[in-house]
Amino acid sequence: MSRGAPRMKKSRSIKLVLLGGASLALAACGDDVPPDARFFASAEECAVTYSEAACQDAFKKSEQTFAAEAPKFTRQEECEAQFGAGNCETKEAANASGGGMGSFIMPMMMGYMMGNLMSGGFNRPVYRGPNNSAMMGNQGKFYNVGSFAGAGKSANFSASPVTQTQRGGFGTAGRSYASAGG
Amino acid sequence: MEPRADWRAHVERDLGFTFHTIDGAPYWDETACYEFSAAEIDAIEAATGELEQMSLALVDRVIEAGGPAFERLRIPPQAWESIASSWQTQQRNLYGRFDFRFDGSGPPKLLEYNADTPTALFEASVVQWDWLQAHWPERDQFNSLHEKLIAAWKNFGLGKDKLYFAAVKGHTEDEGTVEYLRDTAVQAGLDTARIAIEDIGWDGWRFTDFDDQGIRALFKLYPWEWLVQEEFGQHLLSGAAMVIEPAWKMILSNKAALALLWEMAPDHPNLLPSFLEPGQITGKVVRKPIFSREGANIQVLDGGAVVAETPGAYGAEGFVYQEHAPLPVFDGNYPVIGSWVIASEPAGIGIREDSTAITRDSSRFIPHFFS
Repeated sequence: MSRGAPRMKKSRSIKLVLLGGASLALAACGDDVPPDARFFASAEECAVTYSEAACQDAFKKSEQTFAAEAPKFTRQEECEAQFGAGNCETKEAANASGGGMGSFIMPMMMGYMMGNLMSGGFNRPVYRGPNNSAMMGNQGKFYNVGSFAGAGKSANFSASPVTQTQRGGFGTAGRSYASAGG
Repeated sequence: MEPRADWRAHVERDLGFTFHTIDGAPYWDETACYEFSAAEIDAIEAATGELEQMSLALVDRVIEAGGPAFERLRIPPQAWESIASSWQTQQRNLYGRFDFRFDGSGPPKLLEYNADTPTALFEASVVQWDWLQAHWPERDQFNSLHEKLIAAWKNFGLGKDKLYFAAVKGHTEDEGTVEYLRDTAVQAGLDTARIAIEDIGWDGWRFTDFDDQGIRALFKLYPWEWLVQEEFGQHLLSGAAMVIEPAWKMILSNKAALALLWEMAPDHPNLLPSFLEPGQITGKVVRKPIFSREGANIQVLDGGAVVAETPGAYGAEGFVYQEHAPLPVFDGNYPVIGSWVIASEPAGIGIREDSTAITRDSSRFIPHFFS
C-alpha cells in the first residue's frame, strides 16, 4: 500500500470462532435467572419496592386479569370446593370492558404478583385457596403457589407450579414458505 | 475466471460455508466476478446512506400519522402500539439490505429494502472477502461487514442477558446466516445460544428455552409479519422479550413502504416511481406483493399484459406497482446489488446474479472487487 493511501473499504482481518476450523467450544453455563416476581398485598405495599405509578398500574392490570379469569360460581359450595371454606364472596362481576354481568360467587384476590418492569412488567392476581394457600391462575387452571400462613403473607411465592410451558407458538407461518429470509 | 482448485473443501473446512451449492445448482459462483471503479462504489455507498436516513424518516412519519398509515402498510392493528413504542424507546437495529439496479452509468435505483430478515450476509461478509484475499490481497472490496457487525453488537446494552439466535428448523441457508451472526456476537463478548423458532416456549409470562430458562433477548431470522399473526405473537408485542430486529422494522420490511418513500421524496434519483394503486405508471410495470420474499409472485406487466412472472404463495395483502427498470446484462446474466447497512451505516455489498430478469432464492452469489 502506498504511503498516505486511504483506509480500505474491506475488513482488515476476519476471524471466525463458531464456524469453520477454529470452533470454540462454549461452556453451556445456564443463566439461572430466578423469576423475580414478588407478592404484594396492595399497591401501597408494592410502592416500598417499586414506583407508586408502576404499582398502581400493575394492581389495576391484575384487577382486570382477575375480572377476566376468576371463575364465577352461582353456588357458594361450588366455589368453596375449589378455593376452600370462607374464601369466596359474592361480588358484582364485571366483564373485561367494565360492564356489569350481575352478581356471582367468586374467589378473593388477596393481592398480586409483580415482576421487575425490566423483565416485561409481569403482574397477576393471587387468590386465597384451601388451607391458607396462595393460588394463581394460568390458562383457566389454578395452582397452589405458596401459603398465606404465618409470616408467609408477603413472602416470595414459588412461581414454578404455575409454569406450564407451551411450545410451537411460533413457526406455523414459515411452514408454507421455502425460507424466512430474503 | 478460473475458480480456486480446492474451493469447495476450503470454504467448507475453513469457513464453515455449507450452502455453496443449493439443490445441486451452484449458489456461490467464483467462475466470474464484478469489478467496480472507486467512483461507482462511492455512488453506491452514498445512495445507501441516504436511503437509510430516508427510511428512518419514513418510520417517524408513519408513527406520527398512526392508524391510516399503518393500514396502508397492511400492518395489523395489534402491532401498532408495539411498533410505536419500539421506536419511541429507540430500540436499536442491527442490519438491512438495499437491493439496487445499477449499471455504472446512472444512479443506483432502489428495487426493494430487506429491512427485517435479509440474508446472503455470510457470503458477502466472509466468503467473498476470503476469495479476494486468495486472489488479490492488495485489492479492495466494499465490505467491512464483519468488523461493523462485531462493533454493532456491543451497543445493544444486553449486559448479562443471553441473546438467543432463532431460525426456522432445517433450513441450511437461514441456519448458516444465524450461526454466522452468532459468531460475530460471541466475538463482541455477548453470551449467546441457539434455538429453533419452533422450539421457543411460553410459560405464562416469559419466553423459555428447552431448559425452561427465560429468553429475554431474541435475534430472529423470521419475519415480524409472520410472528405477529402466530399464537405467541401477542406476547412478543406485549414486550416479553427484547427483539432484534426491533418491531419498528415492520414499517420498512414491507414493500408498500416503497410507495410511501416515493410519496415522501418524489423524483429522488435513487428511487423508482412506486404506487399502491395500479394505472399510475405508463410503460412497463413490476407488480410485487406487499409481503413477499425471495422474488416470489413477481409480475412484469406491459400495458396490462403479463410479460414475465414468478410463482409463489404471496400476494393476499395486495401489491405495490413499481416502474420497470430493466436490469443490466453482463454475459447473459442479470445482477442485483445488495447493499448492506449495519446499525444504519453503509457497510458493503454482495451481488446476486440470475440468468433471468427476476432475482430469486436460487440466484448465484458473485464476488466483487474495486480499483
